[in-house]
Amino acid sequence: MTKEKNSMVKALAGLPKNVWKSVFRNPLPSSDRGRASTSFTNFFLHIQPVRVSKQALRPSYTMGLGLISFFLFVILTVTGVLLMFYYVPSTTQAYDRMLDLRSSVAFGIILRNMHRWAAHAMVAVVFLHMCRVFLTGSYKPPREFNWVIGVILFILTLFSSFTGYLLPWDQLAFWAITVGTSIAGYAPLVGKSLKFLLLGDATVGQEALLRFYVLHVVVLPAVLTIFVAIHFWRIRKDGGLAKPEEVVPVKAQVAVTVQIEQPVAVASGAAVATADAAPRRFTIQGLVRGPFVKVGKLEEDTVFSWPNLLIAEMVVLLITVIGVMVVSILFNAPLEHPVNVMHPPNPAKAPWYFLGLQEQVSYSAFWGGVGVPALELLLLFLVPYIDRSNAGVGRWFARERVWANTLFLTFVLINVVLIVIGTFFRGANWSFVSPF
Amino acid sequence: MGAAPKQIDAGAEQMPRRKFLGWLSGAALAGSSIVAMFSTYVFMKPRATYGQPNRFRIGRPEDFPSGVRVSIDTKRVCIVRDGAKLAAISTTCTHLGCIVAPSETGFQCPCHGSQFDVDGNVTGGPAPKPLAWYQISLTPSGELEVDKDSEIQMGTYLNV
Repeated sequence: MTKEKNSMVKALAGLPKNVWKSVFRNPLPSSDRGRASTSFTNFFLHIQPVRVSKQALRPSYTMGLGLISFFLFVILTVTGVLLMFYYVPSTTQAYDRMLDLRSSVAFGIILRNMHRWAAHAMVAVVFLHMCRVFLTGSYKPPREFNWVIGVILFILTLFSSFTGYLLPWDQLAFWAITVGTSIAGYAPLVGKSLKFLLLGDATVGQEALLRFYVLHVVVLPAVLTIFVAIHFWRIRKDGGLAKPEEVVPVKAQVAVTVQIEQPVAVASGAAVATADAAPRRFTIQGLVRGPFVKVGKLEEDTVFSWPNLLIAEMVVLLITVIGVMVVSILFNAPLEHPVNVMHPPNPAKAPWYFLGLQEQVSYSAFWGGVGVPALELLLLFLVPYIDRSNAGVGRWFARERVWANTLFLTFVLINVVLIVIGTFFRGANWSFVSPF
Repeated sequence: MGAAPKQIDAGAEQMPRRKFLGWLSGAALAGSSIVAMFSTYVFMKPRATYGQPNRFRIGRPEDFPSGVRVSIDTKRVCIVRDGAKLAAISTTCTHLGCIVAPSETGFQCPCHGSQFDVDGNVTGGPAPKPLAWYQISLTPSGELEVDKDSEIQMGTYLNV
């Protein structure tokens, strides 16, 4: 009786510790082995390698732009799901719900502001991340396809932001989407049906609002999540972030995993003692191809992910959240008058990231709206397959890449200038005005 | 002794069959994907729209005296009458879908400055195409009916 009671008490006393130990397999690491084990056995940490190159951790190398994009996506998901609880995708209710967010929903204003500014920021940061990858030559083999996935992610980001733009159902939203989808209508052959399919009607109305809503809250985020997962996975499989030549190991290296097989007892009469003496047999369990961190250089070039990478990531997360919060406290997301189908604002402007397009469209409808952008996207997709030289990987503005970088920066500059003109220098009737 | 060559024959026959089944599965998979994508497209393309009907009545011919140019913004159409000739011209800008307003010289788009003459021909700005003309007809009840689904050639009038 007392013995049983004792064991009960013991079990109860050990309960918190036992539960804790069942969740976290390792104590806080104090040795290298523990640090490796922590990265390895935790679901969230095992996405990262056990060791990470010092170069990848240098803020001046990556500027954390990829991570910021991801964290902005997380912020958008969280605030977006919360906003969904109060939003109705209906032309008669959507705008009122926006007003409700302002007046009667607790934290409604800050949530909407965060969602809006994080969305704008994500478009910009994803683009800057792409610039970083280009200017450091990080799309070179074996990372070509991850660049392609990155371009897909950029397009998905644009569409996520664009579909969300309509949802407040104010004048800004309505006319931006009217103008934006009209640009899509300029595509040859499929343009008209694409526009009809997107809007579910000839003009922007209830059907378009519902379609954009479903695309915005389900379809695009789901596709985006899948591609983000592939993007991250490939970073690991392609050997981490791009490193300068000296650190890039020989490509043909092959790792061999071996397992020691227990010798098979030949006869039932074989003594146990002979088993120890029997020769060990090895079988190949698998071949792993690809770039590795050289064993000899391990210590000087890399550090443990726990805690170095984790701390770096948390700092980036903190900066991102603080940035979004500060902007959201200082500036309110715009909300104009409710939709008036009869009175287009003058000028009617698309979202800022499409204003370069709109500026081009004002010169030539087809070439500006469809031809040139399609060509630009195609070139972006093909970048790693056009530029096959292996020089200048992992360094900003490498001298060997001066031509590629100049071309790319020209392309960036032209688009930025077009966006700036479309945003600040275009007034009524799309005539040139000075913002000063 | 005759068994050995027979076995080789059977082995040689088996590979094409396996290959054939492989091809067949592949083709079936590709076919199903195409059917699935097409079905999704058919599903996503609405058969009936819930918006405004594209065929609507606008009143009797007497409501539009000669020389008038009335823009009906809710229907996005402008009714033009010159003597006995009646026409319905679209007021949706062919540039980016804004509503054009009738002006002294024709039509003017407020969004990006496209200009059209009284017949809808482009006279300035970024618009790539002239404004559309819609079928207008007289119903048995004596009312005018505009059908935005059927575009007609510019300069085709209804005589009333």
